[in-house]
Amino acid sequence: MLEIEALTVRYPNQPKPALEGVSMRVEGGERVALVGPSGGGKTTLFRAINGSVPSAAGAIVVGETLVAQAHGAALRALRRRIAVIAQMHDLVDRLAVYQNVMAGALGRWSSLHALRFLIHPNRRELGEAHAALERVGIAEKLRSRTSDLSGGQQQRVAIARALVQRPSVLLADEPVASLDPVLSEQILQLLCELARERGLALLCSLHQPQLAMRYFDRVIGLQHGRVVFDRPVAQLEAGTLVFAS
Amino acid sequence: MSLHGLLVAWNTIRSFFPPDLSPSYLSYVWLPVVQTIGMASAGMVIALCLGIPLAIFVGTRAPGWRVVVTLLSALRAIPDLTLAILAVVIVGLGPPAGMAALAAFYTAMVGKVFAELFLAAPPAPLGSLRATGASRLSVALFGLIPLTLPDLLTFGAYSFECALRASVIVGAVGGGGIGTELVGAINGLDYPRATTLIVVLALLVAAIDTAGWFMRKHPRIALVLFPIGIATMILNPPQIFVVRHALVTFAAMFPPLLPAQSLARLPALIWQTLEIALGGTALAVAVAIPLALGSARNVVHAGLVAVLRRFLDVARAVPEIVWGLILVVTAGIGPLAGALALGIHSAGVLGKLFAEAFENVDRAPVEALAATGAGRLPMVAFGIIPLAMGPLAIHTMFRLEWNVRAATVVGMIGAGGIGEALYNAQQHMQYQQMMAYVAVTWLLVILADAVGERVRNRLGWKYVTE
Repeated sequence: MLEIEALTVRYPNQPKPALEGVSMRVEGGERVALVGPSGGGKTTLFRAINGSVPSAAGAIVVGETLVAQAHGAALRALRRRIAVIAQMHDLVDRLAVYQNVMAGALGRWSSLHALRFLIHPNRRELGEAHAALERVGIAEKLRSRTSDLSGGQQQRVAIARALVQRPSVLLADEPVASLDPVLSEQILQLLCELARERGLALLCSLHQPQLAMRYFDRVIGLQHGRVVFDRPVAQLEAGTLVFAS
Repeated sequence: MSLHGLLVAWNTIRSFFPPDLSPSYLSYVWLPVVQTIGMASAGMVIALCLGIPLAIFVGTRAPGWRVVVTLLSALRAIPDLTLAILAVVIVGLGPPAGMAALAAFYTAMVGKVFAELFLAAPPAPLGSLRATGASRLSVALFGLIPLTLPDLLTFGAYSFECALRASVIVGAVGGGGIGTELVGAINGLDYPRATTLIVVLALLVAAIDTAGWFMRKHPRIALVLFPIGIATMILNPPQIFVVRHALVTFAAMFPPLLPAQSLARLPALIWQTLEIALGGTALAVAVAIPLALGSARNVVHAGLVAVLRRFLDVARAVPEIVWGLILVVTAGIGPLAGALALGIHSAGVLGKLFAEAFENVDRAPVEALAATGAGRLPMVAFGIIPLAMGPLAIHTMFRLEWNVRAATVVGMIGAGGIGEALYNAQQHMQYQQMMAYVAVTWLLVILADAVGERVRNRLGWKYVTE
C-alpha cells in the first residue's frame, strides 16, 4: 500500500540531508510504529509521503501513484487517500465538531458543496459525521463547539475526521504526545483497531518504545535520517529500543 | 440610481479629468500644503502647552483632579470637525479656526493620555520625592516626566501624526489649508483643480504615514513642530480675535435651543446618522472580506496581494470627508453619499486589518485541511475565515464606533444626518440651534463609545488577537 525506496530529502541551506536512503513498506491493515529521537526525521518522512516536501532522490509510491509525479489535481487526489493525524492543534476550534469531522470530506467535495454544507448540512452528511464520532466514542459531541472539548476528545475528533476521509493510508505523527498515559493507550488502541478493521496501512510515530511494543505489528527506528532497524515486534526486546545519542 | 443618474454621475466623474497641472497652479498649490502642516504644528504647540500642565495637575492628584479628567474626556468626545465649525464662528474663517479646533481637540487628547501615563508611573520614587517636601511642580519635573519620558515622546509623536491628518480635513468647513482649497474648487465647479488637490492630498497623507513611522522611531524629531507652529501662529493671526467679540459670540450660543419644527425632525436626523454609520460599516465589511482574502499572502499569489494592497492603501489614505466631497458631487447630496464615503474609507482600513488577521491564523489547522486534499476555497471557508472570526468581529465593532463619530461630521459637507443640520444652522447664524446639534453629536459619540465598551466587556473581547 505504501512503499518507500531509498528516499533522500534535503532542506535548503542545510548541509546534512533530513532523510537519507530510507526504505520501508507498509501493507494494508498493517500497523507500524516509527520510533527515534526528535529531529530524527519522523515528521519529515510524513511530510514527504503526502507531497508537502520534495524528495531529492528515491521514490514514494502510494497505491499505484508515484508521489513525486503528482501535482495540482493529482496531488489533491493523492492526499485524499492519505489521512494525517497530528499531535493536536490541527482542528479549527471555532467550528462545531461535526464541521471539523466532515472537513475530512473536503478532498472529494466540490467547492460549492463545501460552502453549502457550512450553511446547511443535510441529514445524510450529519449521519456520516455521527457514525464516525460513534466509532471513536464521542457521538454525543456532534454539535458541540470544538474548543469546548478536552484534549483527548479533540484527538478523537481528529481520528473521526480521518475516518470520514476514507483513506487507504493513515499517518499519525505523535498522536499521543500531549495526552496522559491512560488516554494515550485508549487512543493507540483505537487507531490500531481501525487500521485492522478497515485495512489501512498505519504508520504512527511515537516516542514511548513500550507503547510501540504493546500495540503495533512492526517497529522501525529512525535516527539521523536513516533507518537503524526494522523488525516485527516478536523479534524485539525492550532493551534494543534504546538509541545512542 | 436610475440610468439617467448614472449617466450624470459618469459625466461628472469625466469632468474631473484631466487634472490641472499647469505650472502656475502647481506653483500655487504648495502654499496650502505648507499651511496645513503649519496648522497642525501650531495646534500641537498649544495643545502641549495646555495639556501638559493639566496632565501634571491630574498626575500629582491635586485636589479636583477627577473633575479635570471628566472635562478632558467630555471635550475629547466632540469630533474635530465639529470643533472646527465652532472655531470658525468665534475666530473667523481661515487657518486660525483650524488651529483653534486642533488645539482644543489635542489638548484634550494630550491631557488625558499624558495624565494616564503619569497616574500609572511607579509610586515609590515619587513618594520619596514628596517626602523631601518637594512642590508639585518639582515632583513633576524630577519624578513624573523623567519616569515616563519615552512614552510621552512616543505618544507625542503619534498625536502629531494624527493632528497632521486632522489638519487636512478641518479645512473642509473653513478652517484653512488644503481642505479649504479643495472645498473651494469643488463648490466653484473647478473640478480639474479639485483632482489636482485630491492627488496632492493623497500624497500628503502618504507622506504623513511615512513621517509618522519615522517619528515613532525617533520621537525627538517631532520637536520641529515648535518653530513651525510658532511661525504659523505669527503669520496667521486671527482676523477677529477680540476677547469681547469671542465672549459675546460664545454667549449667544447659549442656551442651546431647537425650535419645535427642528425638534420634531431630530429623531429622524439621529436615525439617519446611525443609518449612515451602520450602512457604511456594513458596506465596508462586505467589500473588505473578499479584498482582504485577496491580499492575504497565505491565501493567494503574492503578485495579486501587491496589487490589491495598493487599492486598500488608496481607499484608506483618503479621509472620509474627502471621499464625501467627491461623492456629494457625483452621487448627489444626501445620506447615501455619506454611507458610501464611510464605506470606502472603512473598507480600506478593515481590508488591511482583516488581511493581517487572515495571515496570522494558526497554521497547523489550515495545513491539516490541505493535507486532506481540500481545494483553496474550502480551505478558506473551513479554516482561515473561522479561525480569524474573533479579530474580524473586534475590528468591525471598533470601526462601527468610529463610524458613528464620522457619521456625525460627514453631513457637514452635505452628506446627510446631524452634521448637515449643524452646518446649515451655522451658515444661517442660528447659533443656539447649532449648539443644540453640537450637544446631540456629543451625546451620540459618548453613547456609541459606552455601548461599544459594554458589548466588548460582555463578550470578553480585548483589542488583541487571540
